[in-house]
Amino acid sequence: MDFKKLKVAISEMDEEVAMEMINEVVETKGDAAAAMAACQEGMAIVGDMFERGEYFVGDLIFAGELMGDAMEALHPLMSSDSAENLGKIILCTVAGDIHDIGKNIVKSIMAAGGFEVIDLGVDVAPEDIVKTAKENVVKIIGLSGILTLAIDSMKATVEAFKAEGMRDDVHIILGGNPVTDETCKECGADAWSTNPQEGVAICRDWALS
Amino acid sequence: MIVIGEKINGAIPSVGEAIARRDEEFIRNLVGRQVEVGIDYLDVCAGTSADKELEALNWLIDIAQSETDTPLCIDSPNVRIIKDVWPRVKKCGLINSVSGEGEKCEVIFPLIKDTEWKVIALTCDSEGIPETAKQKIKIADELIKKAAEYNIDASRIFIDPLVLSLAAVNDCMLTFMESVREIKKLHPTVNTVSGLSNISYGMPYRKIVNQNFLTLALSAGMDAAIIDPEKRDLIASMYATEALLHRDKHCCKYGKAFRQNKFGPVKEK
Repeated sequence: MDFKKLKVAISEMDEEVAMEMINEVVETKGDAAAAMAACQEGMAIVGDMFERGEYFVGDLIFAGELMGDAMEALHPLMSSDSAENLGKIILCTVAGDIHDIGKNIVKSIMAAGGFEVIDLGVDVAPEDIVKTAKENVVKIIGLSGILTLAIDSMKATVEAFKAEGMRDDVHIILGGNPVTDETCKECGADAWSTNPQEGVAICRDWALS
Repeated sequence: MIVIGEKINGAIPSVGEAIARRDEEFIRNLVGRQVEVGIDYLDVCAGTSADKELEALNWLIDIAQSETDTPLCIDSPNVRIIKDVWPRVKKCGLINSVSGEGEKCEVIFPLIKDTEWKVIALTCDSEGIPETAKQKIKIADELIKKAAEYNIDASRIFIDPLVLSLAAVNDCMLTFMESVREIKKLHPTVNTVSGLSNISYGMPYRKIVNQNFLTLALSAGMDAAIIDPEKRDLIASMYATEALLHRDKHCCKYGKAFRQNKFGPVKEK
């Protein structure tokens, strides 16, 4: 199979071609790992195009959905060791905020990148995040928000990890419109990004370190 | 259409900076420009961090009131702050906003019950923003009924059915229009309102999406919008749509607004 064609199909959100090829891999019990890698490469192109301002939010969402469908189809064929597993990550929109488009995009890209995503939804209280991290032994926490007041909640969440004595056990990354270098420092988080591809790369480094 | 001018908002970077350095002239100018175009309410939002909000909002309100008689639309995500600044406001205006979330109604409704104040009510609750019209209508109905317990008539309520982003939720405009129609069918005297920018989030050339949103929303029965009155193309769409919907006898309002240079090619004054 021409996996380059699959990569291009994903990168151009050509749903018909991409799913036809994926289904062929599934039916013929073909090389699922190579198909998955091609999808991930395609997704990386989508991220780059978004970063350059050529693709828009809708493109990211569509590609994310397509990637989800592809992964679901390929999953049964993958042996547990052939798929890269980067471990668990918690994602949520912080307390007081309910905007979740960005969070959902990051979720699909994180899942596509090999993370097991625990999505706590929107308006999530700091103590719920800490509790989930503790119960599931999660080392990476992604906090999202658009409102100015989300910054206060992000800070409160970092503080909650400190109060539980868990701050050194986790990496915390912030995302969303109001997040800057300055707010990241103010909150005491480890990193920030407003670009999903970059965010995934940062978390990947943490997971592999 | 009832126009709520949105420019005094600290979330807009240049305004946020002006608030931070307490640049009175900048704010005064921004108030004056909006009032000149013609607005029914002047939205005032500090958009600062929580600890600085009360002081900033008080400052903005004082400037706005000294510059214009236009009623204010007091805008904060925190109803406690609204309650604190409320006694300062001279003229009955609009509160932005309550919702089914937390204690919002319980703080605001007793405050305004024996006044002429009006209130924007968002159709969301602690579960977030519902995606279906059915849920939006249900929350709106509950909010209107809760207000009635405080003797606040539906005509004093502006329901915002919270339009989502088209790129993410592809049928959100259809849902929005259905919500407006159904809410008004249930409560004919209630007002409906929306902001214009959510719909086009993440899309290129957003203004064309926003303008067409306004037209479709008005045709569904929307009464008010929170807009930038200095966007001439948007104002043109508003006047044209009102005329198209038989709300402008012989299109005289459209003609007058054009004569007043509110839209169309910019004329030298």
